[in-house]
Amino acid sequence: MAAWDLSVTVEDLGSDAPPVTISVASDLHVGGVILKLVEKTQIKRDWSDHALWWEQKQQWLLRTAWTLEKYGIHADARLLFMPQHKPLKLGLPNGITLRLRASFSCPVFQTVMGICRMLNIRHPEELSLLRPVEEKKKKKDKDLAEEIYDLTEVPLSSGTLKIQIFNYRLSEKLDCNRLTFFAVSRPCLYNGMPAHFVDSPQMEAIYKMLSVTQPPPAPEVIAKQYRPASVVDKAHINGRWLDSSRCLMQQGIQENDRLWLRFKYAAFYDIEPKYDVVRLTQLYEQARWAILLEDVDCTEEEMMLFGALQYHISKVAQSEPQMLSTNAAMDDLESALMSLEVKMEGENSSASEFNVIVCFRPKRLTLKGYKQYWFKFQDTSISYFKSKEESIGEPIQQINLRGCEVAPDVNVASQKFLIRLLIPAPEGMNEVYLRCENEQQYAQWMAACRLASKGKSLADSSFQSEIQSIRSFLAMQKTNSHGNAPAGDESINTHSLVSPRYHKKYKPKQLTPRILDAYQNVAQLSLTDALMRFLQIWQALPDFGLSYVVVRFKGSRKDEVLGIAPNRLIRIDLGVGDVVKTWRYNNMKQWNVNWDIRQMAIEFDGNVNIAFSCVTADCKIVHEFIGGYIFMSTRSREKSDTLNEELFHKLTGGHEAL
Amino acid sequence: MDQVSDEEVEVREEEEEEEEDSDKEDQDLDKMFGAWLGELDKLTQSLDDGRPEPPPQQKAPLRQETNMANFSYRFSIYNINEALNQGDNVDLDALMADLCSIEQELSTINTKPNSSSSGLARFLLNCHIQSIRQQINSLPLSLSLLKHSYLDRETSLILRNIAGKPSHLLTKEEQAAKLKAENIRVALEKIKEAQVKKLVIRVHLSDESSKTMMVDERQTVRQVLDSLLEKSHCGYSADWSLVETINELQMERIFEDHENLVENLLNWTRDSQNRLMFTERIEKYALFKNPQNYLLGRKETCEMAERNKEALLEECFGGSSVSVPEMEGVLWLKEDGKKSWKKRYFLLRASGIYYVPKGKAKASRDLVCFLQLDHVNVYLGQDYKSKYKAPTDYCMVLKHPQIQKKSQYIKYLCCDDIRTLQQWINSIRITKYGKQLYTNFQEAMRRSEAAYDWSSLSSSSIKSGSSSSSLPESQSNHSSQSDSGVSEMTSSGHTRSQSVVSSIFSDAWRRGTQGEVRTHKNTQSFPVSSLCSCGLHFPCFPSVNLI
Repeated sequence: MAAWDLSVTVEDLGSDAPPVTISVASDLHVGGVILKLVEKTQIKRDWSDHALWWEQKQQWLLRTAWTLEKYGIHADARLLFMPQHKPLKLGLPNGITLRLRASFSCPVFQTVMGICRMLNIRHPEELSLLRPVEEKKKKKDKDLAEEIYDLTEVPLSSGTLKIQIFNYRLSEKLDCNRLTFFAVSRPCLYNGMPAHFVDSPQMEAIYKMLSVTQPPPAPEVIAKQYRPASVVDKAHINGRWLDSSRCLMQQGIQENDRLWLRFKYAAFYDIEPKYDVVRLTQLYEQARWAILLEDVDCTEEEMMLFGALQYHISKVAQSEPQMLSTNAAMDDLESALMSLEVKMEGENSSASEFNVIVCFRPKRLTLKGYKQYWFKFQDTSISYFKSKEESIGEPIQQINLRGCEVAPDVNVASQKFLIRLLIPAPEGMNEVYLRCENEQQYAQWMAACRLASKGKSLADSSFQSEIQSIRSFLAMQKTNSHGNAPAGDESINTHSLVSPRYHKKYKPKQLTPRILDAYQNVAQLSLTDALMRFLQIWQALPDFGLSYVVVRFKGSRKDEVLGIAPNRLIRIDLGVGDVVKTWRYNNMKQWNVNWDIRQMAIEFDGNVNIAFSCVTADCKIVHEFIGGYIFMSTRSREKSDTLNEELFHKLTGGHEAL
Repeated sequence: MDQVSDEEVEVREEEEEEEEDSDKEDQDLDKMFGAWLGELDKLTQSLDDGRPEPPPQQKAPLRQETNMANFSYRFSIYNINEALNQGDNVDLDALMADLCSIEQELSTINTKPNSSSSGLARFLLNCHIQSIRQQINSLPLSLSLLKHSYLDRETSLILRNIAGKPSHLLTKEEQAAKLKAENIRVALEKIKEAQVKKLVIRVHLSDESSKTMMVDERQTVRQVLDSLLEKSHCGYSADWSLVETINELQMERIFEDHENLVENLLNWTRDSQNRLMFTERIEKYALFKNPQNYLLGRKETCEMAERNKEALLEECFGGSSVSVPEMEGVLWLKEDGKKSWKKRYFLLRASGIYYVPKGKAKASRDLVCFLQLDHVNVYLGQDYKSKYKAPTDYCMVLKHPQIQKKSQYIKYLCCDDIRTLQQWINSIRITKYGKQLYTNFQEAMRRSEAAYDWSSLSSSSIKSGSSSSSLPESQSNHSSQSDSGVSEMTSSGHTRSQSVVSSIFSDAWRRGTQGEVRTHKNTQSFPVSSLCSCGLHFPCFPSVNLI
C-alpha cells in the first residue's frame, strides 16, 4: 500500500514547534502511528496518557487497533498528539477553586466520576460540570489573588489501582478490618482520608478544605454574587450544563479552563456521614448558597432557621476536632460515658436544683411591675417563694416546664434579660416572664428552662454546653451592637447568614434575636446532625430540586417554563407565574427526541401527549435531566453498589451514544 | 361471699402457675380476680376484728428505705367514680383484675419473702385493693364513706394529687378507716416515687357500651389497640382507632398508633368530660389506601391501580426525606375571640401553615406564618355551624394538646367541603409525623394480614402490602398479572392492558435495558413503561412515534 505523509502536532514540543511528519500507509493502525511519532520525537517519557485528537472531526482516536483507513484519515487531517488528562480549574460548591487533572477524552460522565473519586465524593452520577457564570471583573478585584488549591500532582484516575494498592499496604499494617472497604466499593480511607491526601501537609490542607464547611461569607460577598431574580433567570443557568455523553474537548473546553462542579440531580442517594464527609460538606455548601442567593425561595421563618443552622454549623465546625476516622473504640467510650452520665443523673436527681433570685411577672397582672421572688429549679419544674428563708416550705406556685415554649427577650445593650415562657394549660397558654439580673444568671436559667421544656433535668449532660452556646450568642449580640465586629471566631455578622433581602429589611441587631429564637431548637445538634437537618429542611422546600427551562409548547405562541423535578415535570405560565400543570414520571410512558428540529415529545398514561422545543437550553440538556432522574430512581432497586454507567448513557445519551 | 370462696380454691392453682411464668399474669384476669377477692376477704376479716394490722416498728424502717420506691407502682384511676355510680353493670371485674395484676407484679419483683419491705408493700396494696372493694360492696349504702375515701374523687386522675392533702383524712372517725388511710398515704408516697405510671381508663365503644382497662404509661396506642382487639373479638382491621373526643370543645382526634396513650390522657383535666372511643374509622388510613387523592394535590377524586399506588407511596415515603403534599387554598379562619369567619389563602409547608397577606402574591418570602406545627395537634371540629356559626360543618382545629377549654390559642379553620378538610388534615399529619405515619400503617396492615391468615386458613389469597380489603376485585386482577405471570403467555405482546403498561417506571427501565431502542428518521424514542411487569412476555418495543 502506498505510503503518504501525515503531519501531527505534538503538544509536548511546544506550541511553536512545527508538526512532526511521519510516513504512513492507510492500513497502519493508530497504535502504530503513535509508536512512530514517539520514536521520531526522541523524547523519553511516559506517553501512556497521550492520544491523537482529530481537530476537524472533533474526535479522539482512542481505538488504537483501528486503521487510519477505518477512521477515514487522509493526509489533510490535522492531528494533535497530547495527553488525555489536562489541568482544569474546578469551582467547587463551597466557592473554592481547585486545580486538578481531568480527563478530556472520555464522556463528561466519566470525567466527573474521575474527579469525584479523587475528591472522595460518592455517587458521582448526581454531579456534573457546567460553564460558570461570567463574573463581572472589577478593577478592585484584580489584586485579590485567589488562592488556588492544586491537586494536579495527584496520580491520574488511571492510577487508581496504584492508590488502592498503596492503601492496601498501609491498611494492612494498621488494621485488617479496613480491607472490608474494598468489598463494598466504599472509598478506602487512611486516617479518614483517601490515601492521596495523606502524602503531604499541603494535601491534607486540601482535604480539610473539602471536608470542613467554610465560615459564613461576608455580607458584601453575598451581595456581590449574581442572584437570579426570576424563574427565567433561573432557567438560564441550566443552559450551561455540559453534555454528559461527550468529552470536554468536544465541548470546546480548553486546558486550564474554569468549570463548576455542582450537584445536578436533586436526588441524594444513601448519604452516610461516615463515608460521605466531603459529599455532605459540599452538598451543604451548595444548599447554603442556594438559600443565600435565593435560588430556592423560602419564608422568613425558614430563612431564620437556615441562619441559625449556619451559625451553629460554623461554630461547631470550628470548635469540634474533626472526627476524620471513625473509631470503634471511641464509640465504645462514648457509650460508656453516656451510661455513666445516666447513672450519675439518677443518683443526683435530688441535688439537681439551684437557687437564684429572679423577678417574675405573670403577664395578666400588671404591666409595669416585676415582683421579686426566690426561685428554685428542681427537675423540670420551677417553684417560687416569697424569700430565700421561706424556700424550705411550700412554694407559692410550682410550674412544670415540660412541653412549654421558651423564648428569649434579650437586649444586651440595655441589660434586659427576659425569658418568656409559654406554658400550656387546660385553659390555654400561660405567659410568664422571668427577668434575670445579669448575663450569667440569664444563661443558666435559659439553659435550664430549655432543658426542662424538653423534659430533661439540670443533671443532663447538655446543661453546660447549653449555657455555653447561650453565652456565645449573647456575645454575638454584643459585638454586633458595637458596630465593627472584631474578627474573632465568636463574632459572626448575622447578615452573613441570610439573603441580601433581609440585609435591607433588618439591621444585624434586629436579626440576632430572631435567629436566636430559631437557634434554640438546633443548638444541641452535632455537626453531622446539623448538616443533615439543613439539607432536610432545604429538601422540604416546595421549590426544591426544580430545574427550570424556558420552552415553547407545541401549538403555543408564547414562552413558558418547564420545571424538572426529581419526580415530576411542571408547566409554569409566565404570565400567571404559577404552576398550571403537573406531569409525573410515574405516569410517563415514553419520551421522544427529534434531533433535527430539536423538539421533545413526551407521552403519558391516558393518551396525554406533550411536545415542546427548548429555548434557554439545548434539548439534549432537558433530555438528560429527564433521563437522569429516571436513572436516579432506578438506583434504589439496584442491589450492588456499582454504577450502571451503560444505563445512564442509554437514558441520557444522544444518537451518537447508540 | 360464698361465691368468692368457691373461686378461691380453684384459683390458688392458677396462682402457682403464675409464679412459674410471670409473663402470663395478664392472661386470665378474671380468675385472678377471684383469687384476690379471697385474699382480700381474709384481710377484711382481720381488719374487722380490730386487730392493729401493721406494727409501727415495721413502718419506720420502710420510710427510710428508698429502694422501696422501685417496688411500688404509681397508678391512677380514671373515672372510677363514674364507674361506681353506674351501679349494676359496672365492669369492676376487669378493674379489679388489673389492680391485682399490679400486686402480682409487686410480688414477683420482691422475690425475697422475708424482706419486710416487700411484705409491707404487699400489705399496703392489699389494703388499697381492699378499700376499693369495700367501696364496691357498700356502694349503695355509704355515700359518706365514698366521699371521704381516697379513691372517690370526682373523675380522679393521679393518686399523688390526693396524697397532697393529708389533713383531709384526719377528719375520719372510724379507727379502722384511719389506719387504712394512713397506710394508703404511705403507699401513695411510695407510688409517687415510682417509675411506672398506670392508668385505669374507660374506653367507649360505638354501641354506647364501655370497657374499663388498665394501661401502662409505656404503652403506645397500637399496643392498646391490639389488646382491645384481642379482648373484644371484633375482627381485625387497620381502621380500628382510639379517638379522643373533647366534648367541651366539640372536637375529636384519632390518636396515631405510635403515640403514647397515657401521655395524651394525662392532658385531660380532672373534671373532664372527654371520652376515649374505640371505633373503626376509615379516615385513619384512607391516605394510604387511596394515596392519589391526598398526595397529588388534585382537587378531584380518582382511581388508581394498586401497583401505582404502591409506587406513589414508595416515592413519597420511601426516600430519605418525606415531602409535604402540595396543599393550598382558601379556608375560613375564625378570628381570635371574634365570632366572624374570614377567608384567607392558606399554604402548607414543612415549616408550618402560612397564609398570603392581603394584597400580596403567593411568593414564599411574603408569606405570613400562621402556625408552626411542632406543638399543636390537628382535631376535627364537630357541628361548628351551630356552635360557632361556621360557614360549613367541615372544620378543623389546631391546638396544643394540653389546652382543654376555650382559649385564644385554639385556631379554627373551616373548609368548603369534606374532601378539602380531609386533605388538609392528612397533609398536616404527614407534615407532623412524616415516615412514622407510613410505618404505622404498614405495621397495622401486617397485623391485619396475620389476623386474616389465622382466621381463614382455607383462603389462599394473600394480600399485598398496601392493598386494602375494600377493593378485592381490582386487586385480584393485578396480583394475577404481576405475581403468577404464567397466564399471560397466550396474549400477544401488543395487546397488553393499560394497567400493566403503567407499571413502576423504574422497574420498567431496568428491563428496558434488555431491549433495544430503535431510531427512525433521527427521532429517538425513550420508552419508559413500555414493558409489562415481566419483560419476557413482551419482547417487542412499542412503535416509535414520529414527530
